[in-house]
Amino acid sequence: MITFSNVSLIYPQSTKTILENLSFQIEEGEMVLVMGETGSGKSSLLRLINGLVPHHTGGILAGDISVDGISTRAVKPGSLAHLVGIVGQNPINGFVTDIVEEELAFSMEALNFPPDVMRKRVEEVLDLLSLSALRRRSIATLSGGEQQRVAIGAALVMHPKVLVLDEPTSALDPIAAEEVLSVLHRLVHDLSVTVIIAEHRLERVIQFVDRIIYIEGNGDTSIGTADEILKQSELVPPIVKLARALNLSEIGTSVREVRRQTDHIRNSEYSRPLSSPRSESTAIEISHVSHSYNEKSALSNVSAAINHGEIVAIMGRNGAGKSTLLHSIVGLHAPDSGEIKVNGFDPTLLKGAGRRRAIGYVPQEPSDLLFASSVEEECVLADRNNEITAGSTAALLNRLVPHISMHAHPNDLSEGQRLALVLSIVLSGNPEVLILDEPTRGLDYRAKNLFAIALKEYASQFNRPVLLATHDVELVAELADRVLFLAEGEIVADGTTLDVLLSSPAFAPQVAKVMSPKPWLTVTDVVHALEGSS
Amino acid sequence: MKRPLHPLTLWICAILLAIGVVVLDNAFIALAIVGAVALLVYIRRDGSPWQRSFALSLRIGATILTIRTVVGILIGVPIPGTKLFTLPILDLPSWMPGIRIGGAVTLERLSSSLHEGVIIATMIALFGAATSLTSPHKLLRVTPSFIYEVGLTLVIATSLFPQLATSARRIRNAQKLRGFEKIQLRSIAIPLLEESLSRSLQLAAAMDARGYGMSRKRSRYRPQPWLMRDNFILLLTAAMMIAMVTQ
Repeated sequence: MITFSNVSLIYPQSTKTILENLSFQIEEGEMVLVMGETGSGKSSLLRLINGLVPHHTGGILAGDISVDGISTRAVKPGSLAHLVGIVGQNPINGFVTDIVEEELAFSMEALNFPPDVMRKRVEEVLDLLSLSALRRRSIATLSGGEQQRVAIGAALVMHPKVLVLDEPTSALDPIAAEEVLSVLHRLVHDLSVTVIIAEHRLERVIQFVDRIIYIEGNGDTSIGTADEILKQSELVPPIVKLARALNLSEIGTSVREVRRQTDHIRNSEYSRPLSSPRSESTAIEISHVSHSYNEKSALSNVSAAINHGEIVAIMGRNGAGKSTLLHSIVGLHAPDSGEIKVNGFDPTLLKGAGRRRAIGYVPQEPSDLLFASSVEEECVLADRNNEITAGSTAALLNRLVPHISMHAHPNDLSEGQRLALVLSIVLSGNPEVLILDEPTRGLDYRAKNLFAIALKEYASQFNRPVLLATHDVELVAELADRVLFLAEGEIVADGTTLDVLLSSPAFAPQVAKVMSPKPWLTVTDVVHALEGSS
Repeated sequence: MKRPLHPLTLWICAILLAIGVVVLDNAFIALAIVGAVALLVYIRRDGSPWQRSFALSLRIGATILTIRTVVGILIGVPIPGTKLFTLPILDLPSWMPGIRIGGAVTLERLSSSLHEGVIIATMIALFGAATSLTSPHKLLRVTPSFIYEVGLTLVIATSLFPQLATSARRIRNAQKLRGFEKIQLRSIAIPLLEESLSRSLQLAAAMDARGYGMSRKRSRYRPQPWLMRDNFILLLTAAMMIAMVTQ
């Protein structure tokens, strides 16, 4: 279906080759995962398939790519519209119309399909993706998962043979992500659509894929079945880490496979590790907070206390009120009723340097805080703002991500580097409290690991609280001491990470699913328990 | 919800009413029309992003009204009549004869300025209402295909505006929370520019990938039929306009 022969790609003004001498074939009805670190060229590879690279972006392409016998070099991306459907990371940026139905029909209108064919195909797709209830809704009012389904539908109406998805679940909560992935699974199995997908959170997709294309940072690329690639790769989902740690003979990609191999471990008795005692002094006090936007209630009667030295994760589905709660705590708006105190102060009254010392906040789009023209300039600016010794911010950044180029433009950094830059700028103010909104979107495992270490250090070294809203279950399992679970603006669970994550099947991390009913969340937990018993 | 009127009907009605308002030149009737239109917009609200354009047009109208009134009082030819109060007169050089800044403010001068302001504001409110009742995207769907490309470019440009406002607010909030009290233009403009640039590129790429512009002809999904009631409403509005014009 798709053939790459000796493909190399380089962008103008770039010294690095993105892809070098890449050859592979993808058969009809295969589901292929493209993995690699951020900035390794996954998106470029995906966009080569329908010719957006180099037709739309520029760049020098050597070798040949053909899709269903058509060379992408010879035709414009538009002439492949009936063959290749492409879905981006943020579907909202690619929508052309207001209404679900009209969005689905857009491609067909552009290619002058007769109206009766359009009506039939729109109905088919609405049924296939269970979108019929939403057909006349305005796209702006849909949830993230629904929007992603509309984007997939808009590609499917053309009856494409290939569907290309670039991190389709990165902005979605675990349940919405599963929704989208099960749709893909069905397309592959029922309609023999060839699916190429790029994703960082391997734990979400690994059980569905047939083969993996692994783009290593140094320009090397390997292609093989999931087992073959994961045996050697550095980027692996927790389930493979577990298999490696336990020296299992085979690497399984699904919970079921690994469970079968680990019966003996689950059946023995282990002493439950004692949880280390935490300080009981309250840093953030939230009492009976309610807030609403345009008569729509976002938070209702939320009460919680966050202690010094604690890392607390706020979880819940998209639109459950996580961001609103964080905004209330940082003092963006005063809540409609109730009270929030951060170390005894009302956060809405904080200003200037006092605010930087009291609350460090990393927003959902870290780049909102960056406006200088180089990394160095940003660091100098942060030093000056916080009246600290020149070079402190840069030193902090260097510890988080070594070898970062100080002359690079912040926009040219990878997602992980940019987050590290913003984090070091925020931390340079030496804040009493650290608050982060969805920090790990688009980060690979290595960047996430560095980030988790930095947060743990901050919390334990200074005995200060960290509060983060996230969809990333694996990160929460690694990092958080406690989880607040929000639903419809109310706290439905508040307890240790272990208790909260184990009690909810959708939000349980992979290791917990494999080891259930044992109370282990991460590979480290399992290894510790085994060492303790032997 | 009942099927909406044909988008063209609403736009033609707005144009007819605007002509009527200008020719009749009666501020009270103009205000009454704005009231009626506001009621209509309120009844037909459906929460779409374009709905806000009516409120926005009212705000723009109010701003114009204020500016028009202030300028009308300050600058211009004196109209004799009941004197309300006197402003100091500014001395102007001799090469600007016939223009006066300041001076006596009469009731007549005030009311004529207000009157003109109301007429202008009404025009803006009428078009704001038309936009909020039928989104420009819907209007685009009924335009003939030979101007379609121009129309689509305009729609993309306009649909970026609401997003731009949201992004600007988000960036300002993020920076306020960093303790930057004095918000500089540069610190907002750079992240905003970067974001909107990458957004438009993404949109263009998406349209490209979906076959936009590949076929010269273009079919329509669910064409909106021109119904009897569209004729009826147009006739009614036309009659109203004629009554206003010949009055």
